[in-house]
Amino acid sequence: MSEAAYSLKESIRQLPRNIKESVSRRGAGTPDQERAAAIFGNIFLHLHPVRVHVNSLRLSYTFGLGLISFFLFLILVASGVLLMFYYTPSTQLAYRNMKDLEYVVSYGVVLRNAHRWSAHAMVAFAFLHMCRVFYTGSYKAPREFNWVIGVCLLLVTLLLSFTGYLLPWDQLAFWAITVGSNIAAYMPWIGEKVRFLMLGGNEVGQMALLRFYVLHVALLPVITVILVAVHFWRIRKDGGLSRPLND
Amino acid sequence: MQQVAKREEIFPRDPNKTYSLMAIVEGDSFQVERGPDDTLQSWPHLMVRELLLFLLVFIVIVGVSLVFNAPLEEPANALHSTNPAKAPWYFVGIQELVSYSAFLGGIVAPAVIVLSLLFLPYLDRNPKGTGVWFSPDRKIATLLFTVFVIAMIILILIGQFVRGPNWGLYWPWA
Repeated sequence: MSEAAYSLKESIRQLPRNIKESVSRRGAGTPDQERAAAIFGNIFLHLHPVRVHVNSLRLSYTFGLGLISFFLFLILVASGVLLMFYYTPSTQLAYRNMKDLEYVVSYGVVLRNAHRWSAHAMVAFAFLHMCRVFYTGSYKAPREFNWVIGVCLLLVTLLLSFTGYLLPWDQLAFWAITVGSNIAAYMPWIGEKVRFLMLGGNEVGQMALLRFYVLHVALLPVITVILVAVHFWRIRKDGGLSRPLND
Repeated sequence: MQQVAKREEIFPRDPNKTYSLMAIVEGDSFQVERGPDDTLQSWPHLMVRELLLFLLVFIVIVGVSLVFNAPLEEPANALHSTNPAKAPWYFVGIQELVSYSAFLGGIVAPAVIVLSLLFLPYLDRNPKGTGVWFSPDRKIATLLFTVFVIAMIILILIGQFVRGPNWGLYWPWA
């Protein structure tokens, strides 16, 4: 390359193309190479395989249940972040925040509804996805460990939903968490201690609200994101979705 | 010839089959120099479908949220308990079991369920029937799991809809 290629004038002329190439991290190739690079050259999409078996695309095989659970999680993260702008994890303010969402914040009630219904739907669809994987025998080798990760994801989903249940601080929330934490207290020997750790006290109060809030908006979502990433990546590493053996 | 040797290596001749790989196509695709298979490029075939599914999920959630409001009861009051006090719907089946036996229903049953799910792939290892819905090779596994699912659903339905004050039986219309 001559010095002229690096002149300011030439740089400005090439600016759009150079920015695009620096972002996408790849030059031009054949159409197939570019399509493949669109997947493996992208940190998010590289969890996907570059090519998929036609069986994996059959809607009647998967019904998209796992993807639906994941999309619901994305909607929950987006709506949850917006809700955090209006919510204070305090027994004095939490319920008032709910009323503000309903009557003061523009579309606040739709935002809260979307978060609530997506949460219920995510529990249901994660369970349905597990049923699909069971009934198609997809947990057989080499996918055993991905099933284990999936079971952990179902448990984390339940915990996310359970911790979120307390946050509105209404009668429904308060007594549901009281009942739920009392079940944990039936554990032999350590039951009472587990409940104390969970609630930060002997009954549901300010400490419990704060604990559930921190678990709900920080710790559990991070665990979910990590597990989901491994779950998706393992699908590719384990040879794509399961399909009949002789295929 | 090098081509023939390579062809044999990728797709060995099988005397039971009436067909074989005739030639390897030169080119720049990722399928070049491979045996035939039924795969497609993820972009666009998979990604476009995923995007459409996301839009569908998004539209349904927004639609439902515009019509149905999330429940919000009176402010929490530690001195005045609701009767009955119910756990969230996905734990109400466990709560129903707890009403029979606190330890067996509240601790043993959930622990057994979680542990059997975790160990399932290491105990049921026969690869027969993989990749087929309700494969006839897996009748017992299908039956056992279906019993588990139906039991969970029935327990949740009982706990959610036919349990009234003091966890007594009552009908939803009563």
